[in-house]
Amino acid sequence: MISFQATDEELAFVEVAKDFAKDRIRVLARTSENHLKVKEDLSEEAMELSFLSLELPEAWDGLELPLISQVQILKALSYGDLGIVQGFPSAGDAASLFRCLSEHTELQTIKATYLANTDHPSALVDLTDTEKPFGNTITVRNNNGDYILNGTTEPVRLAQFAETIVVFARDNEDVAVVLLLNDQEWLVEDGDYRIGLLASGLGKLKFNHVSTGKILAKGKEAERLIEKVQTRNYILQAAKQNGLMEAALDYATQYTAERKAFGQEIAKFQGVSFKIAKMAMETRIVNHLIWNAAIKVDEGSFEAFSLALRALHRAHKGVRFVTDAAVQLLGGHGFIQEFPVEKWMRDAQAQVALYGSEREFLARRGAALLEEQGQVSVE
Amino acid sequence: MISFELSEQQKQIKEMTHWFAENEIRPIALEADKLGKVPDEWLQQVNRMGIQLNTSSFSGGKGSSTGKKKREREGNRMGVLATEEMAWGDPAITLSLPGAGLGGPPIESSGTPEQKERFLSIFTTDKPRWGAYALTEPEAGSDASGVRTTARKVDGGYILNGQKIFITNGGRASWVVVFATVDSKLGRAGQRAFVVEKGTPGFSCTKLVKKMGLRANETAELLLEDCFVPTEYLLGGEEFYDSSDSKPSGFQVAMKTFDSTRPIVASMAIGIARAAYEYTLDMVKKEYPKQGKYFYLASEILAEAEEDIQAARLLTWEAAWMADMGIANAKEAAMCKAYAGQMALDVCAKSLELLGPTGLDGHLVEKLFRDVKVFDIFEGTNEIQHLVIARRQYAPFGVRV
Ligand SMILES: Cc1cc2nc3c(=O)[nH]c(=O)nc-3n(C[C@H](O)[C@H](O)[C@H](O)COP(=O)(O)OP(=O)(O)OC[C@H]3O[C@@H](n4cnc5c(N)ncnc54)[C@H](O)[C@@H]3O)c2cc1C
Repeated sequence: MISFQATDEELAFVEVAKDFAKDRIRVLARTSENHLKVKEDLSEEAMELSFLSLELPEAWDGLELPLISQVQILKALSYGDLGIVQGFPSAGDAASLFRCLSEHTELQTIKATYLANTDHPSALVDLTDTEKPFGNTITVRNNNGDYILNGTTEPVRLAQFAETIVVFARDNEDVAVVLLLNDQEWLVEDGDYRIGLLASGLGKLKFNHVSTGKILAKGKEAERLIEKVQTRNYILQAAKQNGLMEAALDYATQYTAERKAFGQEIAKFQGVSFKIAKMAMETRIVNHLIWNAAIKVDEGSFEAFSLALRALHRAHKGVRFVTDAAVQLLGGHGFIQEFPVEKWMRDAQAQVALYGSEREFLARRGAALLEEQGQVSVE
Repeated sequence: MISFELSEQQKQIKEMTHWFAENEIRPIALEADKLGKVPDEWLQQVNRMGIQLNTSSFSGGKGSSTGKKKREREGNRMGVLATEEMAWGDPAITLSLPGAGLGGPPIESSGTPEQKERFLSIFTTDKPRWGAYALTEPEAGSDASGVRTTARKVDGGYILNGQKIFITNGGRASWVVVFATVDSKLGRAGQRAFVVEKGTPGFSCTKLVKKMGLRANETAELLLEDCFVPTEYLLGGEEFYDSSDSKPSGFQVAMKTFDSTRPIVASMAIGIARAAYEYTLDMVKKEYPKQGKYFYLASEILAEAEEDIQAARLLTWEAAWMADMGIANAKEAAMCKAYAGQMALDVCAKSLELLGPTGLDGHLVEKLFRDVKVFDIFEGTNEIQHLVIARRQYAPFGVRV
């Protein structure tokens, strides 16, 4: 039955997340950005409240929540500040991989750290798109069963803090592989990051002849695994972006309701109120497309990957539009750091740059549609 | 639990209406557009089958509520699902289907039991009949408070004088819900809704207008000249207006219906967009190269169109779900209508872009493009929907925009 009603448990969890976002995350956003790191006590609180282990498997002491629940909680958290949510020292984008391969022997030492309740930040490097400009300076060579990595990645989230790195790649014979690095040596290039997500540990990973024998998957199996993890990550990222959208929408609504010009609240000018209406629609649309995709993942539908592309495409477009509009509606005040919206616009742009090109998502989704038979998928 | 899965009943109605749209409506779509009307024999035949347009909820959806457990109300969701399919077949024909049409919701929401019985029971299978909704006037469109048609109280009823324009199915309707004012100085509070029957002396259809699209659907101008309407035809009865004191009651009757009709109109726009999209997808599959510049161009355009269609659909489902749950949905109803109306035109334009000059010559998409524009205008223009959304958005801050 078509229903937009969250379960009682979801509502309760979201309420806790939203309070935490407003009372704790939002107030620490600027300081975390300035320190280039989330304040430790905040990370600890987030961990205690289980916000960092929503995706992790139960066997690892995670909550292993369905995606439809996670997207609601992540949205609520990111309402506080996306920069902080992206900077929590967590399994990050590797969490989905840990969930899919929780029993893999190579992962048991990492599992042990989680069971011991210590944080163990991880980064995920996706090198599978070998045509991507800038991304192809790195090589992954199969050397009699071991893999040798050479080169420098593009900026990756949590790179500065990561104790484990998961690599998705195609090797020199164009075979897909998923590799694990944790006791090897790699370097993190200090960069000059200013645009946004500054607390998220952005950095380029530099591999100088790094060799690993820890192969989590290979060939067809790796391809399937990569797609599964990408699907989940696209949706989880989209949900975070949606939280940022809602924050910007609410902030701009309140501001324009109070700010006066030409003798009245600026909300009374349609150039203003109609923009707010558009922001509200776009925020809701992104929410619904995310839910649509999340449900399909939870059902294990073959459509899930394609719907995740759709959700993230719209979330990218939406978060850019809404955060830009928020700055615009605050006028000069939007541009200065005494108000949060300038940061949100910067964070949004950094986020969409990190998580894939909108046009590319569309092209891939379109190619999938052209292959499919029949109508627009409803369910 | 959040779910976008259709219930059994919803699946059935979707399949049934799709079958009908595909096999009965679509085959005559281009012909009806050319003729400027839906063929009478077709309407008679369809009416005998019991197919009607009911904009508050689809008439096939009531079901018998047997058993102790009360079934969740799903009429609004069924309504939007069915309407999308029908409009996918053809929107002008859908709007011409017999039934109370846009006149149904005000009677259902504000009519007395006797009025409901009298006006809603006439839609039987012996002969096609229509209802209509007449709010718009030459000087009152978006600003419905500007209605100038007057209602003067006389013994046993009211005398109506004025003109109504752009009334869907207004000429053929057996009755029309007409909005008039008892005292223009009272503004909205002076408004009343009457049901005026066809053939009432002083009530006439003066013109059928020619349009860019939706050509098969009748759009009429109506004239009321010293037209006497008995008190029993005042919607809700006189007490209804007394009891609501100085509240703008007739105006509220007009506005309240939008919360259920806007999702229906949105779903029509979605049906049109989907028709254009599917037609184009099919053509691209057949005619476009499988790689290279044109393939990527088509992939991106189609993916964006499909995404936009689903975005509009989910907004519409949400508004309909809220209506079924009894949750206030004015904002969501406006959101889905605003988004779907604009999206649908955009999808039709994108489809024409992909078809190129070929699309201009005898292809369905050309017609859909002409049909779709009005979905961003009637039932409240795009701008008015934005206003409704913005008002709801600012309400918590006590600012009225
Ligand atoms: C095919 C068709 C069928 C129709 N069917 C019916 C029917 O069955 N019954 C019925 O009663 N009516 C019907 N209508 C009328 C329709 O609802 C009106 O045309 C519509 O509400 C707009 O009114 P208007 O044409 O007077 O435009 P106006 O109100 O004059 O609007 C002109 C422009 O000004 C904008 N505008 C107006 N007010 C504002 C504002 N406050 N802020 C910003 N912009 C504003 C509008 O959005 C629009 O862009 C139909 C119209 C058509 C074309």
